Amino acid sequence: MWKGSVVRNRQKALNPRVVLVQQLAFLILLIGAWQFVSGRLIPPFYISNPLDIAGVIWKWLADGSIWVHVRSTIVTLFMGYLVGAALGIGLGLALGLSPRTERIVAPFIAALYGLPKVALLPLFVIFFGIGLVSKVALVASVVIFLLFYATLAGVRDIDRDMIDGLRLMGASGEEITRKVRMPAILPWLYTGLRTSLGYALTTTVVSEALSSNRGLGFLIEYSASQFHSAGVFAAVVVLLVLSSAIMVPLGMLERRSKPTRLSH
Amino acid sequence: MTDSSRLWLQRAILLVAILAAWEACARLVSDRWISSPVAIAERLAQWMAGDLWYHMMITGTEIGAGLAIGIPLGVLTGMLLGRSKRMAAVFRPFIVLMNSLPIVALTPLLIMWFGLGMQPKIVLVAFVSFLLMFFNSFSGARAVDEELMDTLALMGASAKERFVKVVVPSCLTWTIAGLKNALPYALIAAVIGEMMLSRNGLGHLITRSAQQFDMTGIYTALFVLMVVGGLINEGTTQLENRLLRWRHLETRGR
Amino acid sequence: MSHLQLIRPEPATGATPARRRKISLDKVAVDFTTRGKTFRAVDDVTIEVPEMQFLALVGPSGCGKSTVLNMVAGLLAPSEGSVTYDGAPVEAANTRVGYMTQKDTLLPWRSVADNIGIAFELRCRKANAAERRERVAEMIDLVGLKGFERHFPAELSGGMRKRAALARMLIYEPETLLLDEPFAALDAQLRILMQQELLRLVERRQMTVILVTHDLEEAVLMADRVMVFTSGPGRIRTERDIPFERPRNAMELRFRPEFSAIHEELWSELKDEFAASVERERRAQ
Ligand SMILES: Nc1ncnc2c1ncn2[C@@H]1O[C@H](COP(=O)(O)OP(=O)(O)OP(=O)(O)O)[C@@H](O)[C@H]1O
Ligand SMILES: [Mg+2]
Repeated sequence: MWKGSVVRNRQKALNPRVVLVQQLAFLILLIGAWQFVSGRLIPPFYISNPLDIAGVIWKWLADGSIWVHVRSTIVTLFMGYLVGAALGIGLGLALGLSPRTERIVAPFIAALYGLPKVALLPLFVIFFGIGLVSKVALVASVVIFLLFYATLAGVRDIDRDMIDGLRLMGASGEEITRKVRMPAILPWLYTGLRTSLGYALTTTVVSEALSSNRGLGFLIEYSASQFHSAGVFAAVVVLLVLSSAIMVPLGMLERRSKPTRLSH
Repeated sequence: MTDSSRLWLQRAILLVAILAAWEACARLVSDRWISSPVAIAERLAQWMAGDLWYHMMITGTEIGAGLAIGIPLGVLTGMLLGRSKRMAAVFRPFIVLMNSLPIVALTPLLIMWFGLGMQPKIVLVAFVSFLLMFFNSFSGARAVDEELMDTLALMGASAKERFVKVVVPSCLTWTIAGLKNALPYALIAAVIGEMMLSRNGLGHLITRSAQQFDMTGIYTALFVLMVVGGLINEGTTQLENRLLRWRHLETRGR
Repeated sequence: MSHLQLIRPEPATGATPARRRKISLDKVAVDFTTRGKTFRAVDDVTIEVPEMQFLALVGPSGCGKSTVLNMVAGLLAPSEGSVTYDGAPVEAANTRVGYMTQKDTLLPWRSVADNIGIAFELRCRKANAAERRERVAEMIDLVGLKGFERHFPAELSGGMRKRAALARMLIYEPETLLLDEPFAALDAQLRILMQQELLRLVERRQMTVILVTHDLEEAVLMADRVMVFTSGPGRIRTERDIPFERPRNAMELRFRPEFSAIHEELWSELKDEFAASVERERRAQ
């Protein structure tokens, strides 16, 4: 009858206000300690300090120079993501619907999947030159596999018996797709799309850091190569804002619609 | 039996066909961009007689040392923080933020701090694996079945005993899921670190070849990385199957 | 605890002399708040269970029987009134009771044998490996799970899981048993066997028991006293002593005319509550 815990109403519930105050206190303490330690215990060369970092961010915002990089990162991210997702889902559907072929090529795909994709970047740079295309190709190469496997799992999740049953009841192919196939695949697709976005962002930033002249990844790498630690941290903060703006809403979505499976 | 041997035969034929087509293309058209399977095999043999093992050792050490630091720390802090209601509530937003940040973006910073050697890669691998394991065991500790905790409490189990007998094993599923991410990610992180700035390691093999426009070298290094990555994936899957037998039974039973 | 209390009195036969009060609920009420609405699950319940008594609680689904057990186990605090055990208020998990919850709470990553033996791994009940193995084998035999020692809970049927949970609780012989539908998932034959086994054990060890069941027959067969709950909020509608001798033979008891008489008498009370609960649920929809 009662779900979850055998009741624990003896424990006092947390006061959300107190929690908020504690969170703020932690944040202030962290930033304060950083400011204090820098230059006293640790040379600012290594960890810069919050005031300098804020100053750099302010300068970037004031002269607008940051937007080139933010825009570049966003463009690379979404182009790579879309290309990779389209290819991955297409491949997943194609092979999912022809299981015999899928069984033959499975080990080849698994082998390619095991390769750390960033290692392909030099190859892509030689093929496509330094610029948007090689970065997009790299991001897509990461996303393809994730969505391929997600789609495949979704196709496998389709309940054959249920389809047979509906056929017997005289359902049309289109009805079966709508009532059985789509509902089986969609949760997997959703999970695949969500997790691969994180990987796509990581890959974008890394490809920018490795070979590019714009983007937040480049900004981090460039500042580091100039030993300009305030610049490094400032770029990381901007990246953090961008990444949480993209990822956090997705995380919240996830909590509302429960995943059907743990993981694949 | 016959079915599976036929499958493997088909795969072998496919592989041979791909390699033959590749080789043919290289011979008949040009091997400037695509090198050729024979050249790659030759190069691999050459490397294996030469410094391949040295570079592998470097990457392996970076991964091993990083994981040895990151995994236990991540698992433990995740479980402890996850079991404390207040700590979990207070730190949740910070955890969510960290979770969304691409951690490898910090590689340049680590290189700036620690320089050229293995150190920045070890720290990077440790950092990445710490976070991945932390997120997983934190969620695992939050998802512990409270009724199991109560059952043990009624038997007279102390808080420590409940932690060891209920929280730790029920986090294991999550920990394994974390490992499945962390191990391949450790290789990725080490390779990224090596590609960014290094004089050795498997990532360095790639950048070295690329700088010389040595296509055969690039493909050979990619092949090596593919094998290493495949072995790591296979290893984690085996580990998972061994440790989580009860879990597989459970999901199959449904 | 004084030493005197460790020496159990003679087993009771027939009429019970005044015994020490083991469990007592005094004017207890429980409110739950779900989705912002507060409702009363249990209201004005007073129960006194003397030492070594076997009490059965029956009532329609959702009337608060499990809630009562949770309070005795110390997992739930009453909103009003008080719960005491051995004269002391119950304020934390009550380690003197063995509680078999309605949902079996076997640890899914442990085999049957490792689940059953877990109590002996705890510091407070530590036993060496040989002793543990012997006791586990004994219990596995008792609940008829021989041959399934190495199985995981997921590989067992619902009834087998219940029996494993029962064995895990009985193995450390708690002085008081709280049993929430222990035999619900068993088939009729196995159920009778298990009832008989449990009776034997309880009588031999002179345990105090609260048994929650949907099955009135089971209640009358096993208990010294039966309480009928009203459909929510749970109150006590009637209680009745069951005068059969101890040790009991549950197998033949059920064919006696006195048994049928008592069963019928309680059934007429319970029937109304079932009807009321069905009606209430229909209205709620
Ligand atoms: N933790 C809880 N939170 C909210 N409501 C609860 C909780 N536990 C029980 N209830 C409610 O209290 C009432 C009594 O629940 P309880 O589990 O005690 O019933 P029960 O008599 O054991 O029923 P059953 O015979 O079906 O097991 C029910 O209406 C139930 O929904
Ligand atoms: Mg109940």
